[in-house]
Amino acid sequence: MVIVKNFVKKNFYRDSVQLLHLSEEAKKIEGVVDAAIVMGTDLNKELLEKQGLLTDEGRAATDNDMIIALKVEDSTNIDEILEKVEKLLTAPGETTAETYYYSLESALEALKDANIAVVSIPGQYARDVVLKLLERDIHVHLFSDHVPLEHEIELKKIAYEKGLLVMGPEAGTAIINGVALGFANVVNRGPIGVVAAAGTGLQEFTVLVSQAGSGITQGIGVGGRDVKSPVGGLMTLLSIKAFEADPETKVIAIVSKPPSPDVQDKIINYIVENTKKKYVTCFIGGKTFEIPEKLKGRLVQTKTLHAAALEAVKLVDEKLYEEAKKKLFLPKEEIIKIAEAEIAKHSEKQKYIRGLFTGGTLTFETQVIFKELIGDVYSNTPLNPEYQLPDVHKSIKHTVIDLGEEEFTAGRAHPMIDPTIRLLRLVDEAKDPEVAVILLDFVIGYGSHPDPATAHLDAIKKAKKIAEEDGRHLTILAHITGTEKDPQNAKKQEEILRSAGVIVLPTNALMALTAALIAEKKIDEAKIGKFYNEFLVGKY
Amino acid sequence: MVEKILKLFKSELKVVNIGLEFFYKSLKDQNVKAVHVVWQPPPKIEKDLQDILGKIL
Repeated sequence: MVIVKNFVKKNFYRDSVQLLHLSEEAKKIEGVVDAAIVMGTDLNKELLEKQGLLTDEGRAATDNDMIIALKVEDSTNIDEILEKVEKLLTAPGETTAETYYYSLESALEALKDANIAVVSIPGQYARDVVLKLLERDIHVHLFSDHVPLEHEIELKKIAYEKGLLVMGPEAGTAIINGVALGFANVVNRGPIGVVAAAGTGLQEFTVLVSQAGSGITQGIGVGGRDVKSPVGGLMTLLSIKAFEADPETKVIAIVSKPPSPDVQDKIINYIVENTKKKYVTCFIGGKTFEIPEKLKGRLVQTKTLHAAALEAVKLVDEKLYEEAKKKLFLPKEEIIKIAEAEIAKHSEKQKYIRGLFTGGTLTFETQVIFKELIGDVYSNTPLNPEYQLPDVHKSIKHTVIDLGEEEFTAGRAHPMIDPTIRLLRLVDEAKDPEVAVILLDFVIGYGSHPDPATAHLDAIKKAKKIAEEDGRHLTILAHITGTEKDPQNAKKQEEILRSAGVIVLPTNALMALTAALIAEKKIDEAKIGKFYNEFLVGKY
Repeated sequence: MVEKILKLFKSELKVVNIGLEFFYKSLKDQNVKAVHVVWQPPPKIEKDLQDILGKIL
């Protein structure tokens, strides 16, 4: 008889990615039907409950405890199984021990000429570590979240004075000298430098530039708060200065959610007064600004990552741009064709969109586009506070969810690595007879799940089957932020998704447009034309 | 003031990874020179003990 057992290890810590790996290994042990090894946060306990893996022992665990949840064929060999799990917990990693250190000092002693550090420890501990690094003139990519704002300000002021980069906190991505730091893609090198206060914004931008046949010099992620008043754009400005002085960089792109107005002014004024190169701005969801006379012809303002990438390529090479437009970014006739085919398969009742995103900037951009086309939508991170979901686990009407937010990630790996939360949600959404379209972003590259498309196959098939058995057709749209050179290979991921009946769109903006057309159930060509002119090309 | 950044742009990356081990593995997969610092949270001290220590120290 199958039974569920929980074992709690008090005050025992492993990082969320290690635990995900351990869970996968535990599932392979003979006699184990299912397994999850997680820290005892409320969210993890809730998910264990949903997966039928929680017992009273697990319920009593706290944030600092580890829960080993096992579903086994019978209880006779449970001790033996547990022993094997314990062994996994203490087993050394596959990598050689000589590159592992237990203090920063000894690591720096071993790599004396270290020039950059990637810091991904819990945010409250980051300050002391980063201070030590800056003291030694080491640039920092600070992946951690929950770094107190005052620490960020302090660290960035010191770094700015010293001419060092502090990329983050909460910077998911950076590409330095072609090396992917954090979550990042394998993209072409080329003449475009990008500074972004938006993690998946940087990924989508660099991927699209690369697909369009151009490439990037450096991708500097600075963290979302950099462009807000308290931090004052310190690292954005420092990056602009560096790009302006860098002989390889010909075009500079600035990508972010709306900056604070004073910071936006500061950035634009700096560009007016101190620069000579060409610029693309992409303040997604921000107000359009009057382009200063001195910048006319060398600064392009854009509203989407799609437009930003195309315009950056255009500033590099007009011919490349024309080819890219035709090759990569679908003309409106194609989008209309896709939408019409799907509309014809839906019932009258099916009218809502459910966006299940892993990328924060992609969630945000989708909402900005929806606002233009179909109005405000519900979210855990809404543009309009009135559309805040009262329960983030239950969608209302049109809903767009950022599954990378705290409420879905406390004590667990990010959904780009661990798709469990999205798989459960996808099946849930399929049960709603009013849902017409589900949107999925697949952000691949270094850091992400090794094969997210395959990991989603069962849930996609299940979702489609639930709808079919109820006499409905469920449209699933996807966009892959990734390249063919990424370890997961974007093309292969696309083939896998298409084989399951998923429609794959070439940019996040086009996925949002297609979804909006399907949900509206009518094709308004004038409106689509306006969207193409305003959202998919830039303004000089 | 951007000399150190321009120097970084021209240098081979040598990375210290502190925290998530899988970022270190990503760097190794890219054949980047890197070392990994195994990080553990400082041991949790109960509040009453912390108060006593606070008085003594």
